[in-house]
Amino acid sequence: MGMIEYFFGFVLPYIALAIFIVGVIYRIVEWARSPIPLNIVITAGQKKSFSFLKRNIHDKIDDPMSNLGVIVRMFFEVFLMRSLFRNTRFYYDKMTNVDTRWLWFFTMAFHYSLLIILIRHLRFFTNPVPDLVKMIDWMDGMLKFWVPPIYVTGILVLVSLAFLWGRRIVLSRERCISLPSDHFALFLFAVILITGTLMRYFFKIDIPSVKTLALGLVTFTPPPYEVLKNIHWLFYVHITFVSILIAYIPFSKLMHFAGIFLSPTRNMANSTRVKRHVNPWDPNPEWPILVREGITVAGVTYKSKKVDWDTYYEMYKDQLDEVAEKGYKIGGG
Amino acid sequence: MEVPEELEIRQKFPNWYDWIKPIRLEDIKHGIASYIALPKQINSDFFKMPFGDVERDVFSEDWKLPENWKEIFLDAFRETLDKNRAFKLFLDICVRCGACGDKCHYYLGTGDPKNMPVMRAEVIRTVYRYYFTKFGRLFGKFGGARPVDENVIKEWYYYLYQCTLCRRCGLFCPYGIDNAEIIWWARRILQRIGLHQRFMCISIEASARTGNHLGLYPGGMVGSLEMACDELKDITGFDLYAWVNKKGADALFVPPSGDYFAVPHWYTFLGYIVLLNELENRYGITVTWSTYASEGGNFGTFHSYEAAQLLNSKIYKEAKRLGVKFIIGGECGHMWRDKHQFINTMNVPPDHDEWKRFWEDPDLGQISDKLRGIRLDEFISGESGWIHVLEFVAALIHYKKLDVDKSRNDHWRATLHDPCNLARGVGMLDEQRFVLRSVMNHFYEMPEHTIREKTYCCAAGGVYLGDEMMELRVRGCLPRMMALRYVVKKYGVNIMLTPCAIDRAQFPHMLEYWKIPAEIGGICEMVGNAIVLRSFGEKPEDRKYDMRGTPIREEE
Repeated sequence: MGMIEYFFGFVLPYIALAIFIVGVIYRIVEWARSPIPLNIVITAGQKKSFSFLKRNIHDKIDDPMSNLGVIVRMFFEVFLMRSLFRNTRFYYDKMTNVDTRWLWFFTMAFHYSLLIILIRHLRFFTNPVPDLVKMIDWMDGMLKFWVPPIYVTGILVLVSLAFLWGRRIVLSRERCISLPSDHFALFLFAVILITGTLMRYFFKIDIPSVKTLALGLVTFTPPPYEVLKNIHWLFYVHITFVSILIAYIPFSKLMHFAGIFLSPTRNMANSTRVKRHVNPWDPNPEWPILVREGITVAGVTYKSKKVDWDTYYEMYKDQLDEVAEKGYKIGGG
Repeated sequence: MEVPEELEIRQKFPNWYDWIKPIRLEDIKHGIASYIALPKQINSDFFKMPFGDVERDVFSEDWKLPENWKEIFLDAFRETLDKNRAFKLFLDICVRCGACGDKCHYYLGTGDPKNMPVMRAEVIRTVYRYYFTKFGRLFGKFGGARPVDENVIKEWYYYLYQCTLCRRCGLFCPYGIDNAEIIWWARRILQRIGLHQRFMCISIEASARTGNHLGLYPGGMVGSLEMACDELKDITGFDLYAWVNKKGADALFVPPSGDYFAVPHWYTFLGYIVLLNELENRYGITVTWSTYASEGGNFGTFHSYEAAQLLNSKIYKEAKRLGVKFIIGGECGHMWRDKHQFINTMNVPPDHDEWKRFWEDPDLGQISDKLRGIRLDEFISGESGWIHVLEFVAALIHYKKLDVDKSRNDHWRATLHDPCNLARGVGMLDEQRFVLRSVMNHFYEMPEHTIREKTYCCAAGGVYLGDEMMELRVRGCLPRMMALRYVVKKYGVNIMLTPCAIDRAQFPHMLEYWKIPAEIGGICEMVGNAIVLRSFGEKPEDRKYDMRGTPIREEE
């Protein structure tokens, strides 16, 4: 029977992690392989103009003109979800938009709680536990009316998960756009978070054994079977779903954590009128593609006629000569 | 196309297993669907596209796709993924949070679930998953994936051409997913099997042939300028003029071609001429128009990279031929995304001597001593060479180089509509406000969620000016019209100004439909009213009529 515990506790996490690392790298390389033909930055503030038109701080963040500006914008985008903060809702009865920041609030709560929970988990994987992790753990567990102390993030993450999933079920528009995969991702999180919560507050889990296993994972040393046997089955559910989630990430929309860094509408500077953006597959276009090489489809090439000035002049010679006769001046009495 | 007096917005929310089925023929609605381009547009010598030799009807069962269309379609899809990181990335990382849902004017106006930006992209993503991701292939429908068939192609066409590429959704997306980019490049895939939207192709073909979307021959353009000068004689009392194709001018002026003819664009057109005359006669800056590069607008930017390049390639060539130092662009929205973000990528910027010499030290003092200190290199270089006419006017006004009489615009109470591409593609927001506050006394902003970078599209950009999609236009215009109605009631606004030619073409119809008592105009119209033509000896109180020919001051 030992095989099952070893598989879920010791083998599956490695497989999942391998899939995760290879998959994420593959996806990022796949994205990065495709060029960016045009600068398509979305400007969300006043651009740089003549110096008498002053830009305020929002303009400088939302409409970067330099690479440094892009870094600032991406910081706000990634760490504060600035675009989502802009969110509004349209009400038909009054025909107006109203700022709605619920989605922003709960998304922030969800992601940051997950981050802190992840950091807290380092106390299983490290020996001795770093002071920073200890401190975060202590701060997070400020609510001492329960034994063990209740984590703020533990509550927050469940509440925000309920909100984020609830809106996909209750609100008709969000229900409409939700695919099974959206529910699946939330389901994985739900199982992981609920088993985690149960293990902490309600079931007796042998923490030293879990720590031995976790340290074993980090140091590539399989723990003895007695240790695995000591661990409650809920833990195996927990770690199995964590493994599934990790392995699922590269194949799913959860890749958004990496994709946002490559998003050309946010990570490009609005500097095209100062510096030419070069299209890698059309770097030096003396003439447009359509007249230069045309479009080839199914072996047939479709080419448009080149209308340079001379061709144009031949086409409308009489009228153009008339303009020349007037000395190129129209009107003037 | 007659639009019913009363429109109902019925919001529907099908579940994923319902909407993943493609639409049927009867779902393609009159008043919403764009016609498919005809051979004379896409099989023209000047704009030749694959399989463009067949006439196709959007409401018919048989779309006459080429025999091996599936293969061509998938090849084009693969090519697009390889050519554009944004396309690939944006198909992958959407989490369907729904933040973009109610940001789209077309969604708000129609209630059609597939008009939510996320769902419009999902129309494409479902096919992407099936052919290009492992999970999609493995789980099929349950992986949110579906194979492509003729109905899916119809659905693509129907929904890809219900997007104005305004990028309002991209502003609100937490990952910066620009649905316009997805739609734009997906349209390019459809073009490989012969499906193009008719309205934009009429203009693209005309522009490829004649240099402007209207298909104006040189004579037509000259006639237009002549007429404008005649009219300005009546308005100002002076013999104003315009240069056309003049070699050795200091700058090339490129407006959107709508300004040559249409109303209310025409008044903006008159405003340009007033401005350019004052510039030349006071400071000696010669600005020429060109018949070869007579179009600043670029409907190619709604069609494909290649078409956009075909149209905007002429302007730098003409700048070089005429030997100008820099280029001034007129008031247009999508044109400015093209001129700001695209043109110098799609083309090699000019490198002739006059150009190079000017951009080594781009101080307008080079041209006229009195303008010394106005430096274009505060935000432009010779690698682009474009300046927006309103940026230019803002600088001239700030440095007190133009005499303006604000009181001439006192009969107008104005608000400003930010064109989507100017706001989110260029980041030009304050220049037009600075100019407006300088040339008129009554200027009011619309509600904050509908202006600046959050501006709503006019619902006709890129390119929905055809009559056949009038219902779509009317519906999509709803958020903007409601915002306008608010300021009309609150401040008594009687004109909405907009630096965009498509807006100026769209809004008059919309005001009529939505019964809002206001006019539409361009900003240079107000500039033209306010400029005191000092170089012609005009005094502030001399002007009796505005650009529309109506008396400025009531007779006492």
